[in-house]
Amino acid sequence: MIRHLFRLIWNKKKTHALLMVEIWASFLVLFGLASMIVFNVSNYVEPLGFTYERVWAVDFNNNQDTTAIPDKVNTILQRLKAYPEVESVSRMSSNFPFSASTMNNGVDYKKRHVMAHFYTTDAAFAQTLDMPLVAGRWYTKADLGGKYKPVVINRKAQEALFVDENPLGKVFSNFRVVGVIDNFKAKGEFMTNAPAVFEMMDGKNTWDKIYLVKTKPGTDAMFEARLVKEMSTMLVGWNVEVNPLIDSRKNQHNLTLVPVIIFLIVCSFLLINVALGLFGVLNLSIAKRRSEIGLRRAIGATAKNVSWQFVAEIWVLATFSLLFGLLFAVQFPLMHVFDLASGVYIGAIALAVGIIYGLVTLCALFPSRQAATIHPAVALHEE
Amino acid sequence: MISLTNIEKVYRTSTIETLALNNINLHIGQGEFASIMGPSGCGKSTLLNIIGLLDAPSKGSISVGGQPVTSYSDQEMARLRNQRLGFIFQSFHLINDLSVLDNVEIPLLYRKQISAAQRRQMAQEALERVGLSNRVKHFPKQLSGGQKQRVAIARAIVGRPEIILADEPTGNLDSVMGNEILSILQGLNNDGATIVMVTHDEAMAKKTHRLIRLFDGTMVGDTTLTLC
Repeated sequence: MIRHLFRLIWNKKKTHALLMVEIWASFLVLFGLASMIVFNVSNYVEPLGFTYERVWAVDFNNNQDTTAIPDKVNTILQRLKAYPEVESVSRMSSNFPFSASTMNNGVDYKKRHVMAHFYTTDAAFAQTLDMPLVAGRWYTKADLGGKYKPVVINRKAQEALFVDENPLGKVFSNFRVVGVIDNFKAKGEFMTNAPAVFEMMDGKNTWDKIYLVKTKPGTDAMFEARLVKEMSTMLVGWNVEVNPLIDSRKNQHNLTLVPVIIFLIVCSFLLINVALGLFGVLNLSIAKRRSEIGLRRAIGATAKNVSWQFVAEIWVLATFSLLFGLLFAVQFPLMHVFDLASGVYIGAIALAVGIIYGLVTLCALFPSRQAATIHPAVALHEE
Repeated sequence: MISLTNIEKVYRTSTIETLALNNINLHIGQGEFASIMGPSGCGKSTLLNIIGLLDAPSKGSISVGGQPVTSYSDQEMARLRNQRLGFIFQSFHLINDLSVLDNVEIPLLYRKQISAAQRRQMAQEALERVGLSNRVKHFPKQLSGGQKQRVAIARAIVGRPEIILADEPTGNLDSVMGNEILSILQGLNNDGATIVMVTHDEAMAKKTHRLIRLFDGTMVGDTTLTLC
């Protein structure tokens, strides 16, 4: 029966051409949307690698003040640590978690070249963000004396640079690895877990003035106001801005989710249009094929056979369209378009194919049931 | 073979009731070639639809091969139509988007036990039987009316049914073509098929074994004919 339906649809290909183009176009749009969704969902399920709930990013801007900056930077650190409401403080570069800033650099090891996110941090970073190490240790001030700068890398960087080698103590691009952490997705859950290198901040660095302050449980906004007030009094002419990471995370999520939601809404309208079109075409097709329905009933088809025939026909039609769509879609994983993992595209293809089959089935169900109720004697007599 | 007892068929709308068949009692024996005649609207096609289980009577009972079938489910009726009955229609009812061979194969698609290769072979044999083995890849639009009806006959006989029901099979054809079709039907009957044919054509009817006359839904005549 399937072969019969394939032949029937193939022989009607000119009649169905526009419908097939419509399904094909819907598949491609769905594939695009599904790629975005699969990419973001697969990122989302990867652990973030750190905690952010009670952490504030306090940004100090010295404006026109250029006097004794190293001392002032140090004083800020000591003052922040002295607050009883503060659990730990860490200083880091402007690309702090959930910020808009990014720093990338290429690093090399044994002819392997890897692009990695660089974060300049201090010895208290892992403790402040509650980041467990999977190998080695976090760097300390004692590590600064050596020939190579101490770094901690994440597991992605380890896999990319060292493959099966133990990275501890290894040197790459003038950095010496002292520890390995698991994940680090600084831009939030929707970020790809990419290679990351944590470089230790040395005493000469006076330009990075972001302090990550981890507060004790129960600390409220009163403390935030007091902290800003006291710091502003202490550092005349400086600006102090507090960004709870929990708020920055929401902003980062919006940056990812808003385009996806807009695309989803546009795509939903498109699919509704396609569904209505399909529904109309199927209704018309059934009305035009009453004689055929009557004949099939007369020569042995049950009402159920007739109903399933129309559902199966639309599946065949969708299969033809999807085969053409797949010719395009498979180019994405094969040619590594947008540098996404092949699994994302394969997942997106599967999702888009599933939605198309679901949609056409839904559209075919009612007209096909109507077809099944056509009385054979009446349908044959009409001709 | 087929027995109709006290058959009545009433068509009801919200405003009107039409009695299409009234108290029909009929037995068609195995190997018979019966024709049903009567003026337009007298219930000939309705009677044929009831005999072919395409329509249910309002009253009365039908039995095929001694088995009462009135209470059969849709599935049982479909199986019976598929395996024991073959239909030929005035307007052929061929599917224009399928080749001649594919059209003939259709009844066999509803028999799960027949393989694709067997289907092809049986369809080819049926087409040979009606003299159309050289037209298997043609489409209905490429055929004349007589050829179309021969394809329809091949489709009716492909499943080797015991009973062939023909609803004005020569109605859309000229007399030469009509005679050709009737010859094919006579040949099938000679080979043992039971045939019930609705016709308007007295000359055609007289070439069958039995003539049943209907008038206003009532059977007004049932004559056994002697062929010259």
